[in-house]
Amino acid sequence: MIEIRDLTFRYDRQPRSNDAGSASRPVIDSVSLTIDDGSFVVLAGPNGSGKTTLVRHFNGLLVPDAGSVAVNGRRVSEDVVAARTAVAMTFQDPRDGFVAATVGADVAFGPENLGLKRERIDQRVQQALTAVRMDGTEERRIDQLSGGERARVAIAGALAMRPDHLVLDEPFVGLDEPARQSVLDRLRALSTDGMSIIVVTHDLRELLDLADRLLVASGGRIVLDGPPEAMMDRLADREVRVPC
Amino acid sequence: MTERSQDRTEHEETNAITSDVELVGDETTTNIVRAASFAALIGALSYVSFPNPVSPTPVTLQVLGIFLAGIFLGPIWGATACALYLVAGTLGAPVFAGGAAGFGVLLGPTGGYLLSMPFAAFAVGAIVHGGFAPSDPRARGLIRLVGAMVVGTVLIYAAGVAGMMATLDLGPTEAFLTGAVALAPAEVLKIAAAVGIVRSDAITAA
Amino acid sequence: MLTYEPGTSVAHRLDPRTKLAVQIGFALAAFSHTTPRGLSLLTVLTGVVLAAATLSPFDAVREIRYALPFLFAGPLLSAVVLGSPWIVPTEAIGPTLASYRALLVLLVSVAYVRTTPVRESRAAIQRVVPGRPGRLLGVGVALVFRFLPVLIADLSRARSALRARLGTERRLIDRMRIVTTTGVRRAFGRADRLEMALRARCFAWNPTLPALKLSHWDVPSLVLATGLVCWTFV
Repeated sequence: MIEIRDLTFRYDRQPRSNDAGSASRPVIDSVSLTIDDGSFVVLAGPNGSGKTTLVRHFNGLLVPDAGSVAVNGRRVSEDVVAARTAVAMTFQDPRDGFVAATVGADVAFGPENLGLKRERIDQRVQQALTAVRMDGTEERRIDQLSGGERARVAIAGALAMRPDHLVLDEPFVGLDEPARQSVLDRLRALSTDGMSIIVVTHDLRELLDLADRLLVASGGRIVLDGPPEAMMDRLADREVRVPC
Repeated sequence: MTERSQDRTEHEETNAITSDVELVGDETTTNIVRAASFAALIGALSYVSFPNPVSPTPVTLQVLGIFLAGIFLGPIWGATACALYLVAGTLGAPVFAGGAAGFGVLLGPTGGYLLSMPFAAFAVGAIVHGGFAPSDPRARGLIRLVGAMVVGTVLIYAAGVAGMMATLDLGPTEAFLTGAVALAPAEVLKIAAAVGIVRSDAITAA
Repeated sequence: MLTYEPGTSVAHRLDPRTKLAVQIGFALAAFSHTTPRGLSLLTVLTGVVLAAATLSPFDAVREIRYALPFLFAGPLLSAVVLGSPWIVPTEAIGPTLASYRALLVLLVSVAYVRTTPVRESRAAIQRVVPGRPGRLLGVGVALVFRFLPVLIADLSRARSALRARLGTERRLIDRMRIVTTTGVRRAFGRADRLEMALRARCFAWNPTLPALKLSHWDVPSLVLATGLVCWTFV
């Protein structure tokens, strides 16, 4: 379970900023939010609404200016390793997130950092790759994968941490339709197996059938929160592309 | 299901080990990753060659990469970037001139230039920033910037010529002709280009 | 581009540390025995090394062609003197032997690069260099391999874009500045994004190291490396 209380964050205090937005107004403006285990949450909103910034607090990649974040009852700041194993994350454009040159070596990176025994690591790599239908590709070079394969290997890298929550930041950007379907298909399967999934996206097509909760961010706040079917008619005025 | 119970023990195992994991600090992570990406950039620059206006040898931009490593990363991490470049090249990354790699290159005719790189980047960085800690290079004076790169160039060429004398058994004159006269004039252009890069607002790092 | 290629040769099966030891021994021996006799023996050994990597000498020489102009220029320049008789071939004997020595050392290193994947090299570094410096070098080197192809692609795109906008008309300094600026920006941008990914996956000082296993070929190879080092001091 992820619990956020009165979270406020400004980029200009941070020495390094990846996203634009050095404005002095907070990127996240006193947000409170609880995400339960086993849920499928879609976090939508226009560019600059603070979606990515918000989820990067779940595993301590960013540190709040005010407020608190707790994962499974422990504050993230107290045990960052626990937060990063419980909340695994993939990033926009997985090409920039791979650590190694081959599929197997990349997926093994997380469990290796946890200091697991080699047999355990191999087992985790194999299971994670099977979960994304990429088993048997350990020796393939990452630069030779297709866009959909890359996206799924990135998910496998996150799954190898054996997380409770899987956060995907814009997983569909740059994917063609078959690749997008292959990722959706795997998310559906993972969700059925009980994995909690949080998808950050501005592209809601087919996701709302899977999701049990839709969050809409705007100007650093969560402006809509509820089951997707109840909110369809209110999405347009929040600049969220409505699926057609 | 056996799978599920196995997952549970695995989970407990993970909980037990999190206290033993020694995370690399955020600042160190930033520096290591930037040093590695700069090392790769120096390697990538060796693939970019321009026709030389004053000599038949084409101009490659590796030396420019060394200057910029010192300027943007500071002496310590600039030198680390160059060291990573050398170790990666030794272990097989095709980063040396002409896409070469391997331990033999360090003992080959261009070995002197290569081995001088960490020292040159350190010198450039230390002079530009006036110490070990990197500062905003745009705030540094033009004379300091150019002077740092001249010192860097002299270091690189002195080591390069010495390397040629050692590996090819040449006298100082032959080594100077082969190793410096044909190549050095283009360095003036690289220093000018580096000043342009540092002074523009195109790069905001550190 | 000289890079690793998967295979099943004897050299592929050797431990990377053994291969590094042979290379170091070979280089030491070559520098201490730069004589016709010493280099003849080392030529035979180079042949053995290339055979162990199933590399033809022709392919191996092609991989180091960039170095050939330097290797030829040294002896040629040395034989030329200012004034009569202008050409003194005996002056070129020393430089010729030195150039040949450099050639052999380069060929042996080609065999290493062709037969050793990055993660084995990295494991070797982390076992040879202890503690945090070894970890830093190991992960840093792996990241250089990771960044290199994408940055080469970034730079070549920057150059094509420049050419498309009549960039060849611009001054050389401007062209160098524009291409390099793109390179530096991409290097920083990619580094910052990768950093996030590393941190999210618990980038640690004390990870489980990749496994290295000795094969029965490592024993004679280590004996060879030791022999070469000893020969240096004879």
